[in-house]
Amino acid sequence: MKFVGVLFILSELTAVITGPPGNPTHQFDGFKGSISQATSLLGLVTAPRWIVFFVYGILVSLIVYLLRTKKEVVSKALELQRSASSNKNLRRIFFSAVVILVVLLPTLVKDAFWQNAMVSQIAVFVLLALGLNVVTGFAGLLDLGFVAFYAVGAYATAWCTGALPLPALFGLHLNTFYAIPIAIALAMISGIILGIPTLRLRGDYLAIVTLGFGEIITVFANNLNGVTGGAMGTAQVPHFAIHLGPLNYDWGIPPVPYYYLTIVFVGIFMIAFSLLEHSRVGRAWTAIREDEVAAESVGINPLKYKVLAFAIGAASAGFAGVMTAAQTNYVTPATFTLGLSINVLVLVIFGGMGSIIGVVFGAVAIQTVTMYLIHNPPAGYQPQDLYMYIGALLVIMMIFRPAGMIPSRRRSRTHASSVSGQE
Amino acid sequence: MVAIGYTMVYGVLRLINFAHSEIFMIGGFTGFFVLKYSIGSSTPTGFSSILFIILGILAGGIAGGFSAVVLERVAYRPLRKRGAPKIAYLISAIGASYFLINIAAKEFGRIGQSMVQPYIDHPIATIFGAPIQMYTVIILIVASLMFFGLDRIVSVTKLGRGIRAVAQDSETASLMGVNIDKTIAVTFLLGGFLGGVAGFLYALNFGVLYSMGFTPALKAFTAAVLGGIGNLRGAVLGGLILGVVESLSVSFVNPAYIDVVAFAILILVLMFRPTGILGERLGRDA
Amino acid sequence: MENLFDVSGVSLRFGGVVSLSNVSMFQKRGEILAVIGPNGAGKTSLFNSLTGVYQPQEGTILFNPKEKPQLSIIGKKPFVVSDSGVARTFQASRMFNALTTFENVKIGAESHKGIGVLGAMFRGPATRRDEHTSDEHTWSLLEFVGLKERANIIASALSYGERRRLEIARGLATNPEVLLLDEPAAGTNPSEKNELADLIRRVRDEMGVSILLIEHDMKLVMSLAERLYVLNFGSVIAEGTPDEIRSNQNVIDAYLGTASEEETDNA
Repeated sequence: MKFVGVLFILSELTAVITGPPGNPTHQFDGFKGSISQATSLLGLVTAPRWIVFFVYGILVSLIVYLLRTKKEVVSKALELQRSASSNKNLRRIFFSAVVILVVLLPTLVKDAFWQNAMVSQIAVFVLLALGLNVVTGFAGLLDLGFVAFYAVGAYATAWCTGALPLPALFGLHLNTFYAIPIAIALAMISGIILGIPTLRLRGDYLAIVTLGFGEIITVFANNLNGVTGGAMGTAQVPHFAIHLGPLNYDWGIPPVPYYYLTIVFVGIFMIAFSLLEHSRVGRAWTAIREDEVAAESVGINPLKYKVLAFAIGAASAGFAGVMTAAQTNYVTPATFTLGLSINVLVLVIFGGMGSIIGVVFGAVAIQTVTMYLIHNPPAGYQPQDLYMYIGALLVIMMIFRPAGMIPSRRRSRTHASSVSGQE
Repeated sequence: MVAIGYTMVYGVLRLINFAHSEIFMIGGFTGFFVLKYSIGSSTPTGFSSILFIILGILAGGIAGGFSAVVLERVAYRPLRKRGAPKIAYLISAIGASYFLINIAAKEFGRIGQSMVQPYIDHPIATIFGAPIQMYTVIILIVASLMFFGLDRIVSVTKLGRGIRAVAQDSETASLMGVNIDKTIAVTFLLGGFLGGVAGFLYALNFGVLYSMGFTPALKAFTAAVLGGIGNLRGAVLGGLILGVVESLSVSFVNPAYIDVVAFAILILVLMFRPTGILGERLGRDA
Repeated sequence: MENLFDVSGVSLRFGGVVSLSNVSMFQKRGEILAVIGPNGAGKTSLFNSLTGVYQPQEGTILFNPKEKPQLSIIGKKPFVVSDSGVARTFQASRMFNALTTFENVKIGAESHKGIGVLGAMFRGPATRRDEHTSDEHTWSLLEFVGLKERANIIASALSYGERRRLEIARGLATNPEVLLLDEPAAGTNPSEKNELADLIRRVRDEMGVSILLIEHDMKLVMSLAERLYVLNFGSVIAEGTPDEIRSNQNVIDAYLGTASEEETDNA
């Protein structure tokens, strides 16, 4: 009985969430609409939404029940997956297939919206997710102001290329390309500056302080008109261009060249971070994350390693900032919201905290869905609803699958062995 | 000064966390925004009357308490049962708060609205040349009542002792017969109630908006840290100090930066005196 | 020859609770020294003070490593103390559960050099040499404690006794001069206890590492330790060789009931 009650509530909640919005003057319109609007039940019959969703709920629980009782099917599927993922050759083939797909993607996807999205949304978010993965996944630090590093990278680019009211260093207007190392350096420095005072704090306090810091950066970006161009944003940031001897290439407006450039850097970062993960730095991070007191007792200086994590994560975010600035030609404070930090957090949590492949997957998956919803919004969907789903997803992941969809192998070893007792 | 008024609100609000300092300040968000339910309950007619005020307070409080308990049940209890690391609670809290904020935005519209005043707001008296608004008086009365009430509950009743026990050492507490689940639920209930009331009071003056809880919650956190985490009177003291500082800063600093002042205080306090003024030990669990 | 540890007048308080009261002790180089006392006597607090985890309000703690400068421990962070040559184990084995046995020890071996981020990412010749050295050091330690076969097993899968040995190996990996063992035999069975005792003696005899040991198992302590301190309610109530301690009236009083029970259990 209790089960039916919970099911009912959940289905109705889903109905409300996915239903039409309310409005300021008639707040309960949304609720009423969600409940009473007529929708089709699997295209067969039209009925008020509350009935429809309840039926959906029943169907879903039936399916889950079947899966649970038909254990053989499920466990066989799991076995297959486990043997497949440990088979080295299979892994290599799969991996190469993915790489080929990624390289060929622009030729397969011709739609302008999607091409643009691939770069500006998906690729950039992959970079951000990789960076946050170092901070949160490797070192276990919850940084809610991660977007600040992204902002530093973007604004640094604008500054170097002379797009800010604040005059560039030595009045030099650099080619955007050369802004990359500077932006990354500045982002890393801001990571260190933020880290040194705050990383002594315990987890929850760190989260709040970083959140506050992120907000402060936004306030400054919005208000320091003389430095950042204020809320209106910066002037034009030139596109990438290389004019080095024989190499002459102008990135210009089309998104595809940016795609390739970004892919290269994503690859570089992925490799670098993977090497880092399996080095003594990565081990130290794991030690600190697992048991900081024990780590200190073997000579690991937690503060140093935590600041390092911040700096490295910031580097990736800073680079993402450069990409955005160069591709969209423009930097505005409206981009750098708390919502963005949380968005990146979801990518990391969903994909797999601490797992490089996981977060890349998470970023691609969620951002693709996001873009799809923007491009083809179903009835009653408003773009801002996204954040609702993100929040819900965070809670759901934490409760049901905290290690993420593709758990990092280190973490999954812990879980596996505590269940089976042996490797 | 209105400042003093709403600083008590901050202080009171932060008390949600006084028993379980690992739990994120999301209660603040919930309490505040959930408060909007009370718009529906106080019909847009009303004119002066203590009755309406009390109605609003109760409505806000009950809604707040209820949502807090539900929140605990859904987002925290599964984690607790699993022994999840602290970071998991945080993430869940953030997710839940974010979800709630946005669902409120979706359902209730993204524009701020002012509340219907159930009383006529006029200066009641003047102290040192500064007029005291009716609003301030209301806040002072309510806040003091809640504070003293809570103080008594925590120090005197069996429940209160249970709460303090769980806060210090949950394992031992359960061994001594304290029902952890129930105690935590009640803590959330109390905190949620207070949060809801605080939200209502806040809304009377500032109106409602789906994101109204965000900044006040952060400031409430600052107030609590300033005064000392885990300490009721500290929270109130912190709220007072913060409020005064803020109102003073208005005269010196560009208004856009007021919030920054609060955050700056937070960062400074956490760095140099994490225990707060009256507080307990923060930092590592040895 | 100077002492390894010189502790004088150390008092440690937490709020109103006195954990250590005017404690003075010393450890000679190469000694196997034990600290015993009833539960809550302050033994672990002493350890924590010796390693920089707690900061006593009064007193001094001096550590005199052979080739490094003297270190005044109070006020130093634990990793600084570790760098100076003090290693420790914990009462409840604190492993890095997400890492393998091998990696757990390796962390100790590599922790005293610089960070080497660039090295980590670019794997230059210097880094590879360092990694090689750490690897060899780790293998030899694993062999020493008898965990070589379990090297690639995830640490959380180890048995209780194995975890103890792993902690010892990890501590030894930092090349310490003294190893502080906090109740190493707790929860082990008699055969494991004997192996542990042998291991501890070998650590001192073969690796030249002094031992400071907290233990409740009287038989083990009496057979291992060359000298003992007895703590009760945060103060030192006796000091001496095992024989002297056994016949010390203060100690007998403090342990009234406890010691005799243990003797009957172990008999």
